[in-house]
Amino acid sequence: MGMITEKLPGYIEPVPGGSVLLTSMDKLINWSRSNSLWPLTFGTSCCAIEIMMASGAARHDLARFGAEVTRPSPRQADLLVVAGTIVKRMAPRLRTLYEQMGEPRYVMATGSCAISGGPFIYNSYSTIRGADEILPVDVYVPGCPPRPEAFFYGILTLQKMIKLGETIRKPGVRKKPVLAALPPGVTLDQIQKEMAALLEKDAVINLDEANRLREEWANIKMAGNEGA
Amino acid sequence: MDTLRLLGAITALEPRAKQKENTDRAAVEVPVDAFYSLMGRLKSDPQLAFDMLYTHTAVDWSAKGEGPGEFELVYQLYSMTHGHYLLVSTRIPRDNPVAPTVSPIWKIAEWQEREVYDMFGVLYENHRDLRRLFLEDGWNGFPLRKDYKDEFMLERPE
Repeated sequence: MGMITEKLPGYIEPVPGGSVLLTSMDKLINWSRSNSLWPLTFGTSCCAIEIMMASGAARHDLARFGAEVTRPSPRQADLLVVAGTIVKRMAPRLRTLYEQMGEPRYVMATGSCAISGGPFIYNSYSTIRGADEILPVDVYVPGCPPRPEAFFYGILTLQKMIKLGETIRKPGVRKKPVLAALPPGVTLDQIQKEMAALLEKDAVINLDEANRLREEWANIKMAGNEGA
Repeated sequence: MDTLRLLGAITALEPRAKQKENTDRAAVEVPVDAFYSLMGRLKSDPQLAFDMLYTHTAVDWSAKGEGPGEFELVYQLYSMTHGHYLLVSTRIPRDNPVAPTVSPIWKIAEWQEREVYDMFGVLYENHRDLRRLFLEDGWNGFPLRKDYKDEFMLERPE
């Protein structure tokens, strides 16, 4: 097998009586996976109102991205949306739900509480400080709670990640998508210099200019008084 | 019954009941030894007929360096027959938090008092089944007390 499986973007599927060479299958599989995400209905607090009700309802319509089939059973779902605060007693149950989902499975942490514990990060006896303490999180959606638009951006990012990512040969290995990149021909140094010049211009007061402006204002005021 | 007549009727029942100030509904505070008999009469009196205890909670009135402090037990009552509300509160010392249970009067108090026991460690005398309600059975301490600390908790940096 060696050379073909290492170099070609294909996969040799052994079947009884020989084998079949599959090419471009990863692309097709990832495309179909990314457009038919089935989320698990798992809402533990107020984020669930935005994520499950507002996003799924007619105005925003999650079905546009093929992710509207929310499942009440983890065995039928492949996207776990952690929508809300996770407390100590819920954490083992959440982990169980994650383990029960079939591979490949994806996790989105939506809202401040699922990202870091949010307002409950200090002096709380019960709140877990972020879903990533118990689960491998793929996409974070900030907000308190995030608007449906933010949630959709998260879904689109996840779709991008799925399309880029996993291959049949290396299951479980995912590439994180590049969301923002420098335009061609621009370097980081140029941007930093430009920013420094702008900041300096804003922070420095030109006394001559200020005096000139003050005189100008005084003239305008005098002219106004004469006119009256 | 409106607030003024309600307060008048309660003062007639229990002269030691003090009216609480700056409240939007009728609210009284009674000493703990007069508390249980007043609660029984609030329910049985046909003019008052407080047949529903809809909330029971506690407040931890303690400050750093000011002695042990007190717990204030707060009971919110409602009358289905007359449609009026009443807040009754009583204070118990924080270092010996023992209070009479009102579960013989309102059955629901059994669980509400279990919750207050769970969070504040208030001990209700003659309660039928005083166990923790929300937290695990092996939990140490009472997390809504102001001096509560554990190793999981993250202190806010100054």
